[in-house]
Amino acid sequence: MSAVIEARGLGKTFRTGRRTVHAVQDVSLSVSAGEALGIVGESGCGKTTTARMLLRLEEPTAGQVLFEGEDITHRRAAALLPFRARAQLVFQNPFDALNPRFTIRRTLAEPLRNFGIPEAEHAARIDAVMGRVRLTPASAWLDRFPHELSGGQLQRVVLARALIPGPRLIVADEPVSMLDVSVRAGILNLLRAARDELGLAAIYISHDLALIRYVCERTVVMYLGRIVEEGPTAELIAAPRHPYTRALVAAVPVPRVDQDRAALPIRGSLSDSPLGGTGCAFRDRCPHAMPRCEAEAPALREAGQARRVACHLEEGAPS
Amino acid sequence: MSLLSVENLQVHYLTGAGPVRAVDGATFAVAAGSILGLVGESGCGKSTLGRAIMGVLPDAGRIAGGSVVFEGRDLVALTESQRREIRWRRLSFIPQTAMNALDPVQRLRAQMLEVLMERGGLARAAANDRAAELFRMVGLDPVRLADYPHQFSGGMRQRASIALALALNPALVIADEPVTALDVIVQRQVLDVMRDLQSRLNLAMILVTHDMAVVAYACDRVAVMYAGIVVESGPVREVLERPLHPYTMGLTHAFPDVHGETGELVPIEGSPPNLLHPPTGCRFAARCPFAQTRCHEQAPPAVTEGEHMVACWRADEAPALRKAAASPATWAAVVPA
Repeated sequence: MSAVIEARGLGKTFRTGRRTVHAVQDVSLSVSAGEALGIVGESGCGKTTTARMLLRLEEPTAGQVLFEGEDITHRRAAALLPFRARAQLVFQNPFDALNPRFTIRRTLAEPLRNFGIPEAEHAARIDAVMGRVRLTPASAWLDRFPHELSGGQLQRVVLARALIPGPRLIVADEPVSMLDVSVRAGILNLLRAARDELGLAAIYISHDLALIRYVCERTVVMYLGRIVEEGPTAELIAAPRHPYTRALVAAVPVPRVDQDRAALPIRGSLSDSPLGGTGCAFRDRCPHAMPRCEAEAPALREAGQARRVACHLEEGAPS
Repeated sequence: MSLLSVENLQVHYLTGAGPVRAVDGATFAVAAGSILGLVGESGCGKSTLGRAIMGVLPDAGRIAGGSVVFEGRDLVALTESQRREIRWRRLSFIPQTAMNALDPVQRLRAQMLEVLMERGGLARAAANDRAAELFRMVGLDPVRLADYPHQFSGGMRQRASIALALALNPALVIADEPVTALDVIVQRQVLDVMRDLQSRLNLAMILVTHDMAVVAYACDRVAVMYAGIVVESGPVREVLERPLHPYTMGLTHAFPDVHGETGELVPIEGSPPNLLHPPTGCRFAARCPFAQTRCHEQAPPAVTEGEHMVACWRADEAPALRKAAASPATWAAVVPA
């Protein structure tokens, strides 16, 4: 299957004063039509910067972004318009993603106008997308303003606005973190249905592995700008290989009384980690760190069926 | 006897359109040295309840009825200066975002000393020792007392605000969503600090949260709030494994379990009622798949069996309802107005 979106050796370096921050380094991934990829990691791991580069909201400083096979890495803003219609972002916070002065109808018509879709098609498109996000009958919602809607309803509108130009790729950055628990499931179910029915490529960004497991077949784990592990989500959670993934899985709270409350297999916090230099970025927090981890950064390499791990412990391990 | 006992508490916010009944008859207790999870959605009144106990309601808020008995005294009847005596010393508060607890333009040491010396009456040397001890207690290096809050990560700030809340050895700490804004690993570490302090200091806590998994991990008891009312409460195992209220049943199926089945998640359609004009019957009836005529007409009384309290007309049928509540089809059939 050919990839809808592909990143090859993607990197982003920010310069602040005298310091150089490698926000993202050497990220390679691809997502096919109908597939959902999760990007998991803590704040500051580079997951949002990676997503912004894939959507070309940010220009990479290294590597390439290919959309449906075409290199868009350094394409100028004006030439990106057709791509913008085909790759959409679902915003995290529905409470400030929508213009409070626009009715829902105008909110949905705006992208159609921007992407040059003939006026005659608008009504039918708006009606169809409202059905897809289960805000029906559409006529009951279209003349309302955002302040008249609940958080869950607003997030449905945000999703509708992303779907209406007919994208091939949607990227959702923490799509339900601002919503109440009781309505999160509804949004996640809609995202799953939209991807299945429209055959979209989807990328979800979250720090929550439980959510990622529900919507993504495949997951990459990022730590300080690099991918440290990749694999089918269920396997990655059942048998994590990288020590960081192991800590991440152990930290996810589960709604059961009987559970493992042992201390996490990780030390310190993100800010204790080395910002540059050679060696593995995780070494200061890793319970298995050895001299080699200081000297040499582990490469991300194949570790069995559809799995990749960047850890010296994995070398020589049966794959 | 309970350390804290809240009886039929009513908290109203006064608005131009009339009083909003944010908390409308909350009853629960917290035993010394135990952690109570206060769980519910945004707008259910859980934060207001925490603030009312603490005596730090916003200007428009007032306690309109009920009692809050803490260490044998009814806090509702106290004057503001009597309350001030208790605040920090016996009862303290950790707000949701640590930045609200910490002064951004003061070093941590100055903030700790202010509480320890001015409120606690400690001499400077003793206060300095105590500040270092508190930092160590929450897993922070005392060297960092010289830092400003912005030099801390989110998790470190939350630890510092826990240290500040514990400064004068309170018996009860109310923590409002203390880990919600944190990444999972940091979240777990902060919860572990809280559990450790609970057992070492025999500290009691009210942990306000929307997350059942946080309750399962850290709490001994739980009170589930919906639309200003405690609809169910009891020991965590009892409530999680044998929920009696359909809202609690819904919450337990509404969010994915990282190790559980990947079957369809079950949303609770609709949203909570407007508390300016709360419905006459059960407040959850409009979203409840099991609601009957009686539920819409009359509010169900709270019934307690053993330590497990519930306010639902159909609590007797709970085992059958639990089975039905596990199916998405059951909830999909509800079409709230």
